Formats: sequence, structure tokens, C-alpha cells
Amino acid sequence: MASVHESLYFNPMMTNGVVHANVFGIKDWVTPYKIAVLVLLNEMGRTGEGAVSLMERRRLNQLLLPLLQGPDITLSKLYKLIEESCPQLANSVQIRIKLMAEGELKDMEQFFDDLSDSFSGTEPEVHKTSVVGLFLRHMILAYSKLSFSQVFKLYTALQQYFQNGEKKTVEDADMELTNREEGERKMEKEELDVSIREEEVSCSGPLSQKQAEFFLSQQASLLKNDETKALTPASLQKELNNLLKFNPDFAEAHYLSYLNNLRVQDVFSSTHSLLHYFDRLILTGAESKSNGEEGYGRSLRYAALNLAALHCRFGHYQQAELALQEAIRIAQESNDHVCLQHCLSWLYVLGQKRSDSYVLLEHSVKKAVHFGLPYLASLGIQSLVQQRAFAGKTANKLMDALKDSDLLHWKHSLSELIDISIAQKTAIWRLYGRSTMALQQAQMLLSMNSLESVNAGVQQNNTESFAVALCHLAELHAEQGCFAAASEVLKHLKERFPPNSQHAQLWMLCDQKIQFDRAMNDGKYHLADSLVTGITALNSIEGVYRKAIVLQAQNQMSEAHKLLQKLLIHCQRIRNTEMVISVLLSVAELYWRSSSPAIALPVLLQALALSKEYRLQYLASETVLNLAFAQLILGIPEQALSLLHMAIEPILADGAVLDKGRAMFLVAKCQVASAASYDPPKKAEALEAAIENLNEAKNYFAKVDCKEQIRDVVYFQARLYHTLGKTQERNRCAMLFRQLHQELPSHGVPLINHL
Amino acid sequence: MASSPSVVPVAVTAAVIPVLSPSSDFSNLREIKKQLLLIAGLTRERGLLHSSKWSAELAFSLPALPLAELQPPPPITEEDAQDMDAYTLAKAYFDVKEYDRAAHFLHGCNSKKAYFLYMYSRYLSGEKKKDDETVDSLGPLEKGQVKNEALRELRVELSKKHQARELDGFGLYLYGVVLRKLDLVKEAIDVFVEATHVLPLHWGAWLELCNLITDKEMLKFLSLPDTWMKEFFLAHIYTELQLIEEALQKYQNLIDVGFSKSSYIVSQIAVAYHNIRDIDKALSIFNELRKQDPYRIENMDTFSNLLYVRSMKSELSYLAHNLCEIDKYRVETCCVIGNYYSLRSQHEKAALYFQRALKLNPRYLGAWTLMGHEYMEMKNTSAAIQAYRHAIEVNKRDYRAWYGLGQTYEILKMPFYCLYYYRRAHQLRPNDSRMLVALGECYEKLNQLVEAKKCYWRAYAVGDVEKMALVKLAKLHEQLTESEQAAQCYIKYIQDIYSCGEIVEHLEESTAFRYLAQYYFKCKLWDEASTCAQKCCAFNDTREEGKALLRQILQLRNQGETPSTEMPAPFFLPASLSANNTPTRRVSPLNLSSVTP
Repeated sequence: MASVHESLYFNPMMTNGVVHANVFGIKDWVTPYKIAVLVLLNEMGRTGEGAVSLMERRRLNQLLLPLLQGPDITLSKLYKLIEESCPQLANSVQIRIKLMAEGELKDMEQFFDDLSDSFSGTEPEVHKTSVVGLFLRHMILAYSKLSFSQVFKLYTALQQYFQNGEKKTVEDADMELTNREEGERKMEKEELDVSIREEEVSCSGPLSQKQAEFFLSQQASLLKNDETKALTPASLQKELNNLLKFNPDFAEAHYLSYLNNLRVQDVFSSTHSLLHYFDRLILTGAESKSNGEEGYGRSLRYAALNLAALHCRFGHYQQAELALQEAIRIAQESNDHVCLQHCLSWLYVLGQKRSDSYVLLEHSVKKAVHFGLPYLASLGIQSLVQQRAFAGKTANKLMDALKDSDLLHWKHSLSELIDISIAQKTAIWRLYGRSTMALQQAQMLLSMNSLESVNAGVQQNNTESFAVALCHLAELHAEQGCFAAASEVLKHLKERFPPNSQHAQLWMLCDQKIQFDRAMNDGKYHLADSLVTGITALNSIEGVYRKAIVLQAQNQMSEAHKLLQKLLIHCQRIRNTEMVISVLLSVAELYWRSSSPAIALPVLLQALALSKEYRLQYLASETVLNLAFAQLILGIPEQALSLLHMAIEPILADGAVLDKGRAMFLVAKCQVASAASYDPPKKAEALEAAIENLNEAKNYFAKVDCKEQIRDVVYFQARLYHTLGKTQERNRCAMLFRQLHQELPSHGVPLINHL
Repeated sequence: MASSPSVVPVAVTAAVIPVLSPSSDFSNLREIKKQLLLIAGLTRERGLLHSSKWSAELAFSLPALPLAELQPPPPITEEDAQDMDAYTLAKAYFDVKEYDRAAHFLHGCNSKKAYFLYMYSRYLSGEKKKDDETVDSLGPLEKGQVKNEALRELRVELSKKHQARELDGFGLYLYGVVLRKLDLVKEAIDVFVEATHVLPLHWGAWLELCNLITDKEMLKFLSLPDTWMKEFFLAHIYTELQLIEEALQKYQNLIDVGFSKSSYIVSQIAVAYHNIRDIDKALSIFNELRKQDPYRIENMDTFSNLLYVRSMKSELSYLAHNLCEIDKYRVETCCVIGNYYSLRSQHEKAALYFQRALKLNPRYLGAWTLMGHEYMEMKNTSAAIQAYRHAIEVNKRDYRAWYGLGQTYEILKMPFYCLYYYRRAHQLRPNDSRMLVALGECYEKLNQLVEAKKCYWRAYAVGDVEKMALVKLAKLHEQLTESEQAAQCYIKYIQDIYSCGEIVEHLEESTAFRYLAQYYFKCKLWDEASTCAQKCCAFNDTREEGKALLRQILQLRNQGETPSTEMPAPFFLPASLSANNTPTRRVSPLNLSSVTP
């Protein structure tokens, strides 16, 4: 359908529908739209200070840049835009274009002759090197290069452009007034346009190289920083195809198309686009003599490297490695250390999937610093920190490292890395079980964002780090029982990262985990079970673990045990310590639920040792809870109580509400158990204290809707009141228990036998 | 054509239809000849020169008619008589390429013929203006969309007529052409099919259809008129779709019914043989063709390709000079000259001539690829990549360009990178061993020996052209110390060579014998080992080793270690191995593109 646009949008660089943008080294050319903009500029210069108010002038100035950079738009749209900022000027622009279009060719020629006047004089209206000045000069130059027939074509194109604009306004104004004959003619026109109409909506004619470059860079940065604001994959592809149709040599469009295809996870098209891009790039690299052989070889290396990245992204690790080897070999042959550095980082990324290779990473960081590649260096440091965190290094060292790299970021203003660094701190604090610190870091990242929007430069709203921080935020809120807040955060996530976008998996997993936890608290095991599949799809290890928990809750002990053992072996192999400890805890729970707490003890001790070694405080206190419970069952409540005193502080400070409740409940149980040997007055005192603790536990449980636990607490309280002889309170608790018990029939588990 | 006959035949629809609805078989060659002559006249009157040429050529290949049988020109209708003056004037203008002028004088004419000429001149005028603009600019770098201002208007007018069913066969043809130029492929196909129904004799409509049909499936779903023209169409499209066997069959049938003198058919057969790389046959047919029709330029580029492949320098030089004398500004001529220079290793000049060919016709696909090859020879890889990419842009299915790109990257020592390109080429030509061998070599370089083995085996199974796959396979097995398989491969290789009977120097023959000698030696099959060792002695590079081995065998035999002499060994092949040969030649299932595109 190229022919259609060509009549509307005159373009002298185009022959056979192909734009030869670089023929004369001109990136821009005169089109009717550009003439309209020129008229606007001219008018702005002509109207004196007084005619246009300051506000209007400011609005106009703001309007100018998008007009100069953006794609061509129709005349009526242009009028509308000008009218919005300054109606008076719109009118005069309209009149001048009308005069020019309805006049003769010499009007246009005169207009261009007069244009250069704005530079002359002692106090020129336009400075030669200003944005507007450059635009004007470009246009004048482009115009004077036009040949005889091209000038005439430009003029006819202008007339047509004007008429189309007029027609539109007439259509809008009075449809009825058009007489019959004209209507018939229009019918004919419309018939022609039928097949074109839909296309015209999105692609408004060929872009000049400048416009195309602007479009591409804009979309590329949007894709990176804020995917939702970029065009949808389908429409972006359409635009790109259109662009390539008019200018097949525009290699960057292929690269954008590669990025676009990555968005929709299309391996075939993205490979195709990537290779096409580099084929084309090699061509232009060879053409520009300044780079010569050097530039040509360079693009080859990066071509292989990019191919490796592509395969890695799609999970073809073997292919990625082959491509990477190739890139490394070529880079080595030509002594390109910078490229080698990039390769090294990728090598680490690939190695990460197999075994830990921090040596590689350390090398990479050192070398990157040496070659002055701050981005790579900090990225390396961040990966290193992540790895060390999993390997159980102390927090202060990690934080120190992060702080140092932060210095580097601020110095080079690598805002993207700053975000990552904060998100990483959030994650590390959570890993160590410091929820307050994690919360604070996450909030910091989010408010950083609002800080940045002030300077309006690069807005990085939808990067991965934001997704990570928001997910943590949601989970933290859920832990504290603020489910409404959590779901609010998730809703926000869903809006920001629509389900088919790159980072959507993060919140999907987070969402399902929260739902699962709630279902488990509520005792709706079937619901939890149905969520397991979803979780498994996103993270298989997590899925298996959750499945085991559900089985355990449903009293299918042997299946659960089998699953947990398998998971344990797997996690030990891939050194996922966090999961190992969780699994060990579940195994221990299995043991004491099957009335063999003695076997649970060594398992728990192992878990404790691990969590102490890796400084996972959250898991450590959970383990202590379990240990204390095991001791209680084994009949040494005093021991359990002293153990609990050790653990209770971090739990109350940082733990989840559920854990707080469980801890208090356990304390009460231990108090009661140890009070058995006391003499009556002291015993009564101890029991009172236990009742207090139980009340606290009940409050915690109520926050997260743990009906089952509340039932247990109430039962226990009723028994205690009974012992103390407080009938009224006892009856109240007993009634509460009865209500709850009717709601959830117990599954035959001894009530007390529960942490 | 100003002196065209004053008695002008009528519009095609009503009067001539009995003549123009040809039968579906070739029983009546005279009738066919009459029809051909008639349609040649009709197309000539409408300025459809190529169709006219085709019909006339075909008619010429049939025996001449006696005077009594000659068709009288169809009678004139009232409408025709009215438009006669305008038509005569306009046709004269048309013939001197003043299209706008012709259209001006034909405006308002009612007869079908005048109307067609009116529309056709408008169309051609648009095309000519478009071409004129192209001349201003940059030559071969042009490609992409065509811009013909007149197309839209023509489409609207023709579609109105089409809906009113006022278009005759020629009108439908023009409507189809306009649609195709506007990239409305589906509509265009429908219109062309309709055109072939209304006027089956018009070759132009069939030819346009050929260009629009991209695969066999599409062909199946077309409802085409059942005429003898259909046979020509089918044969042509089979050639286009690389279904060479079927095409050759069809052409043979046509020759059998009496078109043996047609140069069109002969040239098509030659092209078909070229496509399946049956070089000798193609060459002989082309030589025959040149004798019949010495001033023919069409298809001579294919002929020159063949001469090039066989490195027949003098013949190519003769052809180039001859064509240059006939017409040096033809795409084919430039291509032949390019090939000639390339064969003489003057690659700069060759590239220049290919560029000239592209200047003459930017959509001439072959030249892009050939230019890529030239740049490769000049070690200008980036220019080569550019040329190949252009070729792919013109036609995505050009396997040679994909293959060329792969080769370029292989030269740049990027074996993994070029895998993609070779795979593309392999997809387009699944049964071409060259791509498979190239793929195998890449895998070998990447140390993916399993994949490499698969490729080589497959290359052998689909019929190896260069006879290298087996040796490479054998060497791979050798590397992996799978001596049994290696020996088998070498045996098959030697069998292949001997069964071919060609006395082309095979460097690997000595390697094969040496390995086999050693293999049999290790297996203590003394007879076979000594046979092979003796064979080794026939080659320079293995002579010493062969002799040494023979001595060793003799020694060991003298020591009395001859346990395996009872085994019957008529030739140096053990019976078990040669029996193995047939069943293993099946094509094992192979999934080359499993992981990446």
C-alpha cells in the first residue's frame, strides 16, 4: 500500500518506494507537514511580544519539540494542537497555509526564500545553532537541493495535504451541506480508501530518518524501562515492518524487532531479527570508513555475544555456551578486552546455572575495574554479593560491598544499578529474617522513584528491581496479616506488569504463595492443593515443598515424607540452603506428629546448625520453636522454657504474626507444663501468666485468621480457667470453642499435639 | 504496428468463443495450431507482446496449415467499426510508446478491444513514469515497493466493470495485474483464475498465476479450466516449485504429442535438468537449443552457469561474445559475461557485470547471489553479506543466498553463527547433500560429534554429490575410536567410487585403504589386510606404509599365525560387512532444528 502514502507524503529521497536517507548525507527532507511547522515557526517569530501572552508562548515552546521530532501528522491534527496552546496563532497559520496552497508555486518559493531572513539582522529572531535554528537550516538546505520536478511535486503534495485537511474539517463541520455530486465523488474516493483506512490509523506515512531514529530510541527505552507504556507487541511490529518497507537498510529497526520478539517469547523471529540486524550492521560498519576493518570485526564479536545472550534468555544453555565460546575466541584473536569482559560476565551467568563459579566472577570484577567498565564491575559485585549471601557470608561484609558499589553508581549515575542494589538489600534483609529492615529498603526504592520523576529524565518504573521490591512488600504485609494492603500491592503490580510482560512471573508466584498461606491458615487444604500446580509451574522446588506441606496437613504422612526426602536430596545438591532448612523443619514436624519426637531432635539440631551457619535468623528461631516443642513433648518443659526465652525476642521483633502467635502459645504451654510441679499459690500465678500469654497468642492468630489455632487456644484457656475455678470465664471460652469446633471438625489429631 | 490489418477482429466474448474454448486433449493438433495463431493475433492487437510471442513460437513448432484450413479473421461488430479510427490511431501511438497520448484518444471508446487498449496504456504509462524516476537514482541498490500512480484509479474502474461482469478475458487479466501490483495477492489469484476460464488461450494470465502460487497446496485448491493449456501451465509451475520429476514428465508428454520442435519446451527441460544438477543432460539440451535458435537470449544465463560449473572456458567465452553481439544490454548477457570473468578469476569485473545486470533489472535474483559469490572470492566479506542479504530480501526462498551467508560466516571462523544460515538453506533444500555436509562440518568444529555424524550420514543417505560425506563420517568414527563403523564407512566409500566408475582423483582413497589395511591387520584378517596394503602401494603418500604393512603381514603369516584363513574372502570385503550395506542405507530420523531455529 505504499503508493497511497506517497501521494500524501511527498518524499524526494524515495524512489520505487525506497527511502535513500543517506544519499546526500541529509537525514531529513521537506514534506508538506514540515512546511506547516515552518509556517508556525515563522508566525511565532513574526508576532511580537505583546500579541501572544507569556503563558501561551510557553505552551507553544513546549509543543515545538515534539512537533519537530515526531512523525508527520495531518493538518487538522496540527491545527488542533496549536489551537490548544494558542488559538490566535492557529488562525494565522491556517490562513497562511491556505494562501500558499491555493496560490501559486511562487508563493511557496517565496516562503522558502524569506525563511533565511530570520537569521539575519543584528538581533536575529532565531539563533543559528539552536534547536529551531538547526531545523530551519536543515529545511532550507533540503529544499534547495530539490530538483525542478521535485519542487513541483512538493507543491502538489502540499496542495493535497491542505485539501485533505480541509476536507476533514468540512466533514466535521457540516456533513449535510455537501451536495450530491461531491458526495458521489467522495463515494468513489472512499471506495478507494476502504482497504487503506485501517492501516492509516497506525502508520502515518514514511518517516524521515530522523523521525525514525527518534521513534526507535523512544520505543527501545520504553521497552527497557516501562514496558506498559510502549506500543503493544503487535502494533510495534506493524510499525517496524512499515519502517523497514520504506527503508530496508535501517538496521536498528531489526534490533528493535528482536527486542519486541523477545517480549512475546518468540525464539524464531527474534533469532531471525537479531541475525538480520548484525548482517546489516556489518554492512554499514564497513561502509563507514572511519571504523574500517576494526568496526567490522567488532560487530562480528558482538553478534556472537548477542546470540549467546539470546539463547541464554530462552534457556538454551548449551547453545548459549557454544555461541559464547565463539565470541570469546574472536574477541581474543583481536585483543578486544572490553568485549572479553562482557563475555566473562555472561560466562558467569551461564556457569551459575551449573555450579558456583565465584572465582570467575571475582576475576571479572577485577578486570572490569581495570578496563574502566563501571557498569560491568558493579553488576559483577552485585552478583557476587548475591552468591555470597546464599553461601552464608556475614551481613556486614555484604552490606559493605554493596555500599562501595553504590558509591560507584552514584558517581557514574547508573540509576538502574542503584535500583538493583536497593532491591538486593531488601532481599538480603529478608533472607536474614529482618523484616523491618527489608520493609524500610523496599519503601526506599519506591520513594526513590517519586524522587526521580521530578528531574523527568529517565523514568525507570517498570524494571525488574521494582517488581522484586514490590513483591517483597506484598509478602511482608501478608506476613503481618495486612492482607488488604498486600492485595493492594499485588493489584498495583498487576497493573504495572501486565500478565504477558517480562517480569510478570515474579508477582504471579508471590500472589500464589500468599493465597496458599492464607488457605493453609484457614484450613482449606483443598484450596491450597489447587494452588500447588500454579506454584509448581512458576517454581518447581517451591511447588514440591508446598505439595508436601499440604499432604502433611491432610495427614498423608508417608507420601509427604517421601516427597520431602526427595526434595531434601535435590536441594542439598543444588545448595539451596534456605529450602534445605525448611524441608528439615517439615521433616521434624512429621516425626513429632507421628509421635516420635525423639527422632525429630537430631533433624532439628541439624537445621539449627545450618541456619546458624548461614545466619538465617528467621529460620533459626523457627527451628528453636520446634526444638522447644519437641522438648515439651518429651517432658522437659523447663528446658523448653529457657530455650524459648532465647528465641522469643527475635520472633517478636521480626517474625511473622503467625510465628508470634505460635511462640506465645508454646510459651503458655510450657508454663503450664512446668507449673505442674509447683505448689498451689505459685501454680495459680503461673497459670494466670499462661492465660495472659494465651490471650496474646489468640490476638496474633486472629490477625491471620487461624481458626484452628484459635480453637486450640480457646480450649486450652477453658481448661486453665477450669483449674483456677473461674467458671464464668471457663464457660465463655468453652462456648467459643464449641462454635469453632463445629465450624472446623478436627481430623482426629490430638488437639494439644500441635505447635 | 501502424499498418495493422484494416479488418479488425471482433471482441472475443461472443463471436469467437467456439474457437477459443479449446479441448482438453492434444488429439487435434491442427485445431490447436489454429487457436494458437488466432490468439497470437488477438494478443498482438492488444499490445500483449510477450503472450503473442509465446503463442507464435508454439504455433511455429507445429506443422503449417494448408490454405483451406486457415482461419478467416473474425467478423467485425458495430462497436468495433465505430471505434476503428480511434483504435488505429491509438495503437500507432501505443506502439511508439506514447501511452498517455494513446489513452487520450481512446477515451470513451466502447468496444472491448479499444477499452482494453485504453486501460492498458494507462497502466503502462504509470509503469513507465515509475521507471523513469528510478533512472535518476542509484542503480542496483533499489528494491521494495512499486509506485504507480495510476494503479488505484485503474483498480476502481476495473472492479466496477468486474462486478457488472463486463470484462472479457483480457480485461480480467489486466485487472489481475493491477491487483497484484497493489499486493492484493488473494484477489489477484481469483481474478487470474477467472481470466483463464474465460480465455484459456492467453498465456499471460497463466504465467501471472505461476508467479503468485507459492506451494503445491495452493495449486491443489485452484479450480482451473480443463484445457490443453493447463498442461503447459502445470509443467511450468512444477519447474518453478522445484518439483522437477513431475515437470519433466509433463514436458515429455508434450513433446510426445508433437511439440518436439518448440524451443520453449526444450529450454524449460534444460532448466529443469539444471535444477536437479544433471549437468551433462542440461548441457547437451542447451547446445541443441542453440543450434535451433542461435539468437535466443532467454535462459542463456542458466546455460552459462552450467558451463561455469564444468569450467568450460572456451565455450563460455564463445557464448559471451555471441550474446554480446546480439544484445549487450540484456540481463542475461550481463550475467553470462559476469560468469565468464568469474571463471577467469577476474572477480572485480565479474562483480561489475552483475551490478550492471541489477541495474537493468533490480529484481533479478540470481545476480545478487552471484555478486555475493564474487565478493567472497575477493575476500570482501561484508560486501558479500550485503549482496546475499539483498538476494534474500528479493526472495526468501533463495537457498543459495542462505548457503552463501553461511559460508561467509564460516570463513570468518564463526561456526556456531553460521549454523543458523546453513539450517535455513537445509530447510529449503532438505535433500541437498551440500548443506548437510556444511552443517556437519560446523558441528564438527563445535565438537558436537553426534550431531555431525547425523548430518554426514543423512548427506550420504540423500545422495552425496561431492562424495565427501562418507569419508568425513569415517574420520569421525575414527576419532571416536569406533573402528567397526569407521571401517564400514570406508568400505562403502570405496564401493561408491568404484561403482561410479569415474576416474576423478579422490584424495581420500588412499586414506581409506590405509585405514582398512590397518583395521584388517588388527582383526588379523591377513588376506584382506594384504589386499588393502597392496592398494595402498598404488598411491604416493601411502606407498611406504603399505609396503611396511605387507612385510609385517608376511612375517606374521610365516610365523604360522593364520587362524582366519578358513573364512571365505573373495574380495577384500568380508561378507558380513557387504551384506550390511543395503539395510543401513535407510534414512534415519533426523531432527536438526530441534533446539534453535
